[in-house]
Amino acid sequence: MSASLDKGVNVLKEMIDAPIASYFNSCVHCGLCAEACLFYTETGDPKYTPIHKLEPLRRIYTQEYTLLGKLAKMVGLSKPVTDDELEEWQELVYNSCTLCARCSLVCPVGNDLVYMIRKFREGMAVSGHAPEGLIGATTRAVEIGSPMGIRLPAVQAQMKHVQEDTGIEIPLDREGAEYMVLLSSMEIINFPEYLGAIAKIMKQAGKTWTLCSTAFEATNSGIQIGVGDIAKVLVNRIVEGAERLKVKTVISPECGHAYTALRWDGANLVGRPFSFEVLHILEVLDGFREQGLLKTEGFEEARVTFHDPCQLVRRGGVMEQPRSLLNMVAKDFVEMDDPAKYNWCCGGGGGVSANEDAEELRLQAFQVKKRQLEKTGAETLVTACANCRIVMEEGLEHYQLDIPVVGLTETLAEHLVEAED
Amino acid sequence: MNEIALLNWARGPGLDIAVAVFLLGTLWRLIEIISLGRKKDLSAPRHKPGASGWHTIARRSVAPPGMLKRSPISYIGGYVFHVGLALIVFFYAQHIKLIESLIGLSWPALPSQLIDLVTVITLAAMVLVLVDRINKPVKRYLSTFEDYFTWAVTFLPILTGYLAVKHLLLPYTTMLALHILSVELLLVVLPFTKLFHVFTAFMSRWYNGNANAHKGVSV
Amino acid sequence: MAIQNDVDFKNALNALSVDQQRALAVSFTDSVIALCDDARVAGAVSAARRPDISDIELAALYQAARTASVESYTQCGKETDWAIQAGHFVANAAMACVAPASKQANLAWDAAMQARMARTCETISSGEGTTNREVDHQYRLLEQYQNQ
Repeated sequence: MSASLDKGVNVLKEMIDAPIASYFNSCVHCGLCAEACLFYTETGDPKYTPIHKLEPLRRIYTQEYTLLGKLAKMVGLSKPVTDDELEEWQELVYNSCTLCARCSLVCPVGNDLVYMIRKFREGMAVSGHAPEGLIGATTRAVEIGSPMGIRLPAVQAQMKHVQEDTGIEIPLDREGAEYMVLLSSMEIINFPEYLGAIAKIMKQAGKTWTLCSTAFEATNSGIQIGVGDIAKVLVNRIVEGAERLKVKTVISPECGHAYTALRWDGANLVGRPFSFEVLHILEVLDGFREQGLLKTEGFEEARVTFHDPCQLVRRGGVMEQPRSLLNMVAKDFVEMDDPAKYNWCCGGGGGVSANEDAEELRLQAFQVKKRQLEKTGAETLVTACANCRIVMEEGLEHYQLDIPVVGLTETLAEHLVEAED
Repeated sequence: MNEIALLNWARGPGLDIAVAVFLLGTLWRLIEIISLGRKKDLSAPRHKPGASGWHTIARRSVAPPGMLKRSPISYIGGYVFHVGLALIVFFYAQHIKLIESLIGLSWPALPSQLIDLVTVITLAAMVLVLVDRINKPVKRYLSTFEDYFTWAVTFLPILTGYLAVKHLLLPYTTMLALHILSVELLLVVLPFTKLFHVFTAFMSRWYNGNANAHKGVSV
Repeated sequence: MAIQNDVDFKNALNALSVDQQRALAVSFTDSVIALCDDARVAGAVSAARRPDISDIELAALYQAARTASVESYTQCGKETDWAIQAGHFVANAAMACVAPASKQANLAWDAAMQARMARTCETISSGEGTTNREVDHQYRLLEQYQNQ
């Protein structure tokens, strides 16, 4: 066994806990998880069956933690996990899984497969079997501060641009502000409108907020690649920034995995509960709506539908807020079939969109989303995750569907009642 | 060994061994699993009514939207044979008598003709799920020797029981002995195969539901 | 009238007709067109120059520019190539040049904003940092247009 494989297998042994043991012991090979996975349903290839993606981990479990498994190993009757096998599994674990968790939702014996895949990725990464693109993103995130290589000056340039566009000052490192706003690199690079929207909304709501120069990045590639130590470093930056600036709430942007990483994994990574609140921007906005601080006028003329980012809704629990908010500015809002927590993944989350090898598969898997969209007859697709947005735009472009994709925060900001200056 | 001796062995030492292996094996396996422990979730929880491990134990018995039509036999066949098996085991008069002799509890039985019908339907459902396992690409792909073995180990008690009651195939004494032996085989392998889902399915549903309830998602 | 800040800039642009906005959008985009090597983008901008362009042609050019824009997004997690990203914003500016008229948007303003982002990407890419003179350049373009 090479040093890397050894380390990888050891990491996997550490990852296994009672829930995982219970899950492996409950699986009855019914195959229903495949019927929920877009990579299977759109390709018909059984190798994409979610539980099959975990086969090496299962064997490590039985060989390490069950009496019969250990006995079998001792007498040479068990099949060890090899480097070649993990190499073969890289596609299954990283290209054909976005951590969307529809499988975890439908398994009749209750298995949380995504929980297992996330842990499996830890071993894969340590054994050297994670995709090139993700390794690059993670390295950049640690060394530069952003997986896409954005440094503070780029953020400041965007701040300046947004200030010009909106006429509102963008605060940086303002101590004692109520909210610390995080951005995802995607927004900094591709969607400067998001920061502008935040500025306008915060102004109307009369809330104090700030960006943080040492912690402007929300996304956590450590989680996606599956290296807990790196994920911890990235979260710690945010914790340090939030505590230094003494903010009450940290706002996670329109990005699915960033929310999961910070809101749900964060405290567990750093080993202590947070001293500040973490909210997704939509939770914040919905809170404003309930308090009457969000005043909008006018409605979208087109029929709109909403794509539920998996990490926000099914895995994040922010289900009703997007709907309450969208209903403020849309009169003809049609839900997709399989809405809310049952919605289908855009196909690009969990590191898949950063993985060039996965592009063809991703576009094939997109057909489920395309069908959902066509059924609604919607003319505009609204969502709340910058990655979903681009993945879906690419998918729509590929299938020649002329439907614009827009962000929810941005859409709300467009309908804000103009303040008298 | 003649059939009487076989039957006596099956009813006596055989049953003792099988039940002991079943109970001790189950205990051992549960400890093996639970002792691995679970880290506490330090993130701030959400509280949503209807979301908890217990709710999920119940809720997962219902097919999620859209899934039934994707794999009807999995759900329908699965339900029919599970319910059928439970009805046969717990509501057939002779079984209730056996349970009474072991632990002193008893309850009303279902009419034997109804149990006959349920048995036939259960056997049919089991054949149906086997055919589906062989037919459906995903099931076939996933299936190993264990899946077919456990199917047989579950099918045999039902079949031999029916044949015994109906005095078919072999003399009653032999058939009964085979039936009891097949049940003993089932008991002995249950803790060490996927049949253990009898216990772990509820644990898994609970773990899953509990973890998601923390986030305010009812699964 | 001298344009000295974005409030003046925006007000002046809002006072223009759609055709006039389109003309200015084109000149703002022209300023950064060299940052994009996509023929569809250049084609859209040069066609938008024609005052007699029909709605159907505009729609077709809009599609083409949008495709160019979608294709040039930086993917989540990929390392940013600022030069290509500049091209992405130029494509967006081109979209503004050939966009249908709308009550809610000012074509010239949209093009100006996208052009500024394009310029910023370029200066980041060339290592010059993030300050640039595109804003002033746009003010002068507007003044020149008004004095015609």
